[in-house]
Amino acid sequence: MSSAPRSPLDRAALGRMLTRIANAGGRAALHELIEPPARGARRIGITGAPGTGKSTLMRCLAAASLAQGRRVGVVAVDPSSPYSHGAILGDRIRMGEVVGHPEFYFRSLASRSAHDGLADNLADILCAMEQHDFDELLVETVGVGQAELAVRALVDCVVLVLMPESGDQVQAMKAGVLEISDVFVVNKADLPGAGQIAAQVGDVVGLRRYEAGQWVPPVILASQHDAASHQAVAKAIEAYFAWRRNRNNETACRRARAAYHAQSLIHQRIEELLAELPSATFDLPLREVHRRLVTRLSADLDASIPPTQEAYVDVR
Amino acid sequence: MTDATQLHALRGRRILIAKPGLDGHDVGAKVIALALRDAGAEVIYTGLRKSPEYIARVAVEEGVDAVGLSVLSGSHRELVADTVNYLRRAGATGVRVFVGGTIPAEDLEYLRSLGVRGIYTSAMPLDDVVASVAQALAEQTT
Ligand code: B12
Ligand SMILES: Nc1nc2c(ncn2[C@@H]2O[C@H](COP(=O)(O)OP(=O)(O)OP(=O)(O)O)[C@@H](O)[C@H]2O)c(=O)[nH]1
Ligand SMILES: [Mg+2]
Repeated sequence: MSSAPRSPLDRAALGRMLTRIANAGGRAALHELIEPPARGARRIGITGAPGTGKSTLMRCLAAASLAQGRRVGVVAVDPSSPYSHGAILGDRIRMGEVVGHPEFYFRSLASRSAHDGLADNLADILCAMEQHDFDELLVETVGVGQAELAVRALVDCVVLVLMPESGDQVQAMKAGVLEISDVFVVNKADLPGAGQIAAQVGDVVGLRRYEAGQWVPPVILASQHDAASHQAVAKAIEAYFAWRRNRNNETACRRARAAYHAQSLIHQRIEELLAELPSATFDLPLREVHRRLVTRLSADLDASIPPTQEAYVDVR
Repeated sequence: MTDATQLHALRGRRILIAKPGLDGHDVGAKVIALALRDAGAEVIYTGLRKSPEYIARVAVEEGVDAVGLSVLSGSHRELVADTVNYLRRAGATGVRVFVGGTIPAEDLEYLRSLGVRGIYTSAMPLDDVVASVAQALAEQTT
């Protein structure tokens, strides 16, 4: 694919860098924002309920991209315990032999204070990875319920992975994650009931109105041992990116990312401040709790966040 | 150490638990992985039968604070020495190494000479193992 020479992947440097970024608190992160490079990677989000086969599918997609000469990075998020804050980061186990590939990089992340299917500081982590010349970044979310839609803002293409027996889910998801997805994969098609799910999703997609030239998400049956099905998924993703290239929605995309980035840092900071408040604070009337929280939040600003150097036109 | 202090002793720490070599005894590795998680650590488990070279690569890629090797095959001397070498070669500076499993007393000195920070067998209560790992990691940052 890209024949231009690029420097070899410095795993140790990137590994240390990502640990530092992941450990930055909500306020410290503002001082070390990572600039997105001019040419970013294409970003693909893989989302879906726990155990639907996201990691396994990601391995197959990564292998296909590596075979085309791409440099591929993966970020896989697993949930942190709200009590101990600990986590078992288990997605790597599914990566099999691609882990040995010189152009492949895999990073496990704990969600930490994020509750949106992603992880603290993920926006910066992806930008930092892009500085290492990745052609493609795959992002596996925490196994989502229905409400975690944040991945949409950080990636270009959202792949939703379903499996047989998620029929009730399809009903529940109509208004949420089904609407933000660009490619549907009904995985574990080797198990009974896959066709039925595919039909249900097809119905939901079919009922929606599409303007001329709008992307209509395909529904693809896939399974672990069926290489042709993974080729079909890879092809659908290529088709989506081809469609997207002619769409010129870069501005909207950049704004959505910036909005998510700001929101996620504030969210993280509020979690930190909530933990710092003496617990008796929460006996106070809600308005007072709110006031103390906002006061602390704005104290951050006064204390340490320098105003930006450039004069920005008021954008109203 | 009481439960209350153990609870968050390893918060924010990234620890790789790995099984080098050919033995398939994975109960201890899993028990330790869960115990470290419950003390707040973020634990990556490699699965069985990984080479020292592979383990070192994962350690730098994941930017971990520590690597814990679980060996019940009797080959701990070679496997630990190899892993430590590969870690050095891969540029893993500041990564602490711990070892657990069937380690006879006469090998402790040799393993320590390789730079291993803590060595544990099933004779040591789990809480003490976790406390010892937490303490060794706390020393690292001061
Ligand atoms: C259960 C067991 C098995 C099970 C394993 C099941 C499994 N999936 O794990 C089965 C029956 C399959 C099995 C098979 C064999 N086993 Co076996 N097995 C045992 C046994 C009885 C207990 C191991 C165990 O699970 N202990 C419980 C766990 C919780 O303890 P642990 O692993 O020691 O872990 C603790 C600490 O060591 C420490 N720790 C461990 N790792 C780490 C890592 C870190 C980072 C830290 C901080 C701490 C830490 O914390 C843990 C919790 O306290 C031991 C005997 C023994 N007393 O150890 C023999 C033993 C390990 N087996 C042995 C042998 C020889 C075999 C076989 C080769 C054949 C045989 N003779 O049975 C096969 C080979 C299997 C293979 N593929 O490798 C020998 C090994 C000899 C040696 N080391 O030189 C032992 C010691 C028995 C003996 N005395 O001969 N075995
Ligand atoms: N029958 C069948 N099982 C599959 C298929 N793909 C994955 N699995 C199995 O489903 C289980 C979960 O697979 P993963 O790839 O870990 O799923 P995941 O969605 O990443 O899981 P979480 O990260 O825990 O949410 C594993 O036991 C896989 O072997 C498939 O196509 N068919
Ligand atoms: Mg997974």
